Amino acid sequence: MTLARILRHLLRYSTEFRLGVILLGVVAILAALSFASPYPPLDVYVVAPDVPPSRAHVFGTTSRGQDVFWQLTVAVRNTLLFGIAVAFLSRILSLVIGLISGYKGGWIDRVLMSLNDTFIIIPLFPLLMLFYFVMRDSMTWAMLALIMSFLGWAYDARLIRSVVMSLKRREFTQTGIFSGMTTREILMREHMPHVMPIVFSTTMNNINWSIGLEVTLSVLGFTDNNTPTIGGMIFWANQHSAMVAGVWWWIAFPVAVVVMTFVGLFCLALSMNEYIDPRSRWSRMSGGSA
Amino acid sequence: MSAPLAIRSTPIAQETAPRMPVVSVEGLKAYYRTDHFGVKRLVRAVDDVTFEVRRDEIYGLAGESGAGKTTLTKTLTGAVRPPLQIVGGTIAFSFLPGTQGLHCAPPPEVSRVRWRHLSYIMQGSMSVLNPVRRVRSSFEDFAFRHMELSRRGFDAAVRAHLARMQLEPNVLVAYPHELSGGMRQRISIALATICRPELIIADEPTTAVDVIVQKDVLAMIRSSQKEMGSSVLLVTHDMGVHAYLSDRLGIMHAGRLVEEGRSEEILARPRHPYTRHLISSLLRIGDDTPRRGLEGSPPNLADPPPGCRFHPRCPLAMDVCRREVPPFTVHGPDHRVACFAVTPEARP
Repeated sequence: MTLARILRHLLRYSTEFRLGVILLGVVAILAALSFASPYPPLDVYVVAPDVPPSRAHVFGTTSRGQDVFWQLTVAVRNTLLFGIAVAFLSRILSLVIGLISGYKGGWIDRVLMSLNDTFIIIPLFPLLMLFYFVMRDSMTWAMLALIMSFLGWAYDARLIRSVVMSLKRREFTQTGIFSGMTTREILMREHMPHVMPIVFSTTMNNINWSIGLEVTLSVLGFTDNNTPTIGGMIFWANQHSAMVAGVWWWIAFPVAVVVMTFVGLFCLALSMNEYIDPRSRWSRMSGGSA
Repeated sequence: MSAPLAIRSTPIAQETAPRMPVVSVEGLKAYYRTDHFGVKRLVRAVDDVTFEVRRDEIYGLAGESGAGKTTLTKTLTGAVRPPLQIVGGTIAFSFLPGTQGLHCAPPPEVSRVRWRHLSYIMQGSMSVLNPVRRVRSSFEDFAFRHMELSRRGFDAAVRAHLARMQLEPNVLVAYPHELSGGMRQRISIALATICRPELIIADEPTTAVDVIVQKDVLAMIRSSQKEMGSSVLLVTHDMGVHAYLSDRLGIMHAGRLVEEGRSEEILARPRHPYTRHLISSLLRIGDDTPRRGLEGSPPNLADPPPGCRFHPRCPLAMDVCRREVPPFTVHGPDHRVACFAVTPEARP
C-alpha cells in the first residue's frame, strides 16, 4: 500500500487517528503562525501588561508585557522542534544500536545491551537536574535536546534488537549472507523495512516523553528560560504569581496547548500501533467481528 | 584399513573419465565441537565422506534426519561457523582450483564463486524472498552484484530468465505474500539459477508444499538443469523425490555414506541393509502389504557405536561389524557399498 492510501484508510476507519490529526493540525498551525509574530519573542513590555483576553490580544497579555497568543506560537514551535529533534536523534541511536546488537549477537550484543540496560535503569529526572546544576548557562535548548536523545534510545533499541534477532534466522537473511551482502547492506536493505513501522510508532511516544520532561524541567526552572517554550511560559507565569494575581490566561492557554499536543501524539501512536498490529487491523477492517 | 579393496568389475575411473566432476569431496570430516561448562561434546555429523558430483548430473543425497545431510551442505557452501569444524578431508570445486573447499578459501574468492558458480536453494526456499520487499528488490539485492551488468541489462536478464522458467514478468512487482507458496518456490529457484551456476546445491527444496506443486517445482529443477547443463546436488530425505529426479544417489547413515550408485540401480537392487530398509519402506501403488519399520533409532553421533554405525539396528550384523568400519567395495558400474555382510571379500 502506498503511503497516501494508508493515510486515507486510517482517516476513514480510525477515530483516534482523525482526532490526533485534528489536534496536531491545530498545534502545527499555531507553530507556523510564529513566523508571522508582530513582536520579537524575547522582548518584554511590548504591550500593556495583564490585559485579559480581548479582541486586540486574543489570549490576553502577560505581566511581562508580552502577548500570550504570539508568545505561545513561538513556544509551541520550540517545544515541538525540541520533541522532534530528540525523537530524531534518539531514533538514530536506537536503530543503529538495536540493529547491530540484534544482528551481531555475541560479545557486541552483550556490551551494547549492558549499556542499554544501564540507560534504562538510570533515573532520568534527577540526572537531568544534575546536568543543569553542573552546566548552568551552557545548558541551552540544543544541549538539552542532545542530552535527552542520549537518554531516550534505550527502550526502543531493545525492541528493535528483538525484532532483528528473529529476522536474522530467516531464510532471506541467510540468502543475503550467501550472496555476499555486507552486514550494512543486510541491515539497511533487508531488516530496516521490517523495523521502520515500530520506529514510526515509537517516535510519537518519544516526542511525547521528551516534551513532557522538557515541560517539567522548565516549569521547575531547570532549563534555559530565555528560549521561549511552553514550560518556560508556565515558569514565568509562576514567577509572577499569575494564578494569585488572577492572570489565569497566562497559564491556561499554554497548558491547553501542551495537553492538545500530548493527546494528539498519543492518539497517533495508538492508531499507528493498531495499524501495525495485523490482528487489530484485521478486526477493524472486518467491522470488529474477528 | 587392513584389507585391500575388493574390485569386482571395471574401476570407476575408466567409466567416468569423460565426465569431469564439478565437485569432489574426499574423506570429509565435519564435527560439531561444543564445550558447555566444561562438558565437552564432539558430534561426528559428517565422518569420512567421499563422493563426487559430475558435470551435468543430478546427484541425490538421501538419509534420515540427523544423517548429516544438512551439515554436509553447510560445509559445501562454506557456511562453517563454530561449533561446526572441518576436521579433515578436502572439497575440490572445478571452478575454484587450488583450495580445499569454500570454508578455507579467501573471502574475495568465496564471493566470486557463490551464486555465479555455486548456487544454493535452501531449506524453506519459499521464505527466501523478503516479505516486505518486492520480488524485484530481492533479485537486485541477491543477484545483481554477481552479474556484472548495468541496471537495465540486469533487468532484461531477469525478465529473460523468468521467461525461460515460464514465470510471468509481473511477479517482479509483487510482494511475496501476494504469491502462492509454489510460485514463491519457483521464483527462488529462478533467483538461484539466474547466473547459470555450474553447481546448484538444493537442500530439501520441496518440503512444505503439496505434491502437485512439488511435481512442478521438481520438473522446473530438472528442465533448468538440462537447459543450463549444470550439476545439482539434491539433498532430501524423500526417496520419491530422488526417484523422480536424481541420476545418481548416495545414501547417508549416521554421518557416513553407506551406498552409492545410479538411482534406478539403487531403487531396484539396493545392497546395503540400511538402503534396503529405506527402499522397502516406500509405498507402491497396488502393493498394500504393511510396511515394517526399522527397530531402534539413529545412533547418537556424540557417542557413535564402534565399527559400522548401522550394526545395532542391522539384521545382518556380524562380529566384524562391531569392530571394523566397512570399506567401500565396488558392485557393478558406478555402484559401491560399505557393508561386510553383503561383500564378504571386504572382511579383514
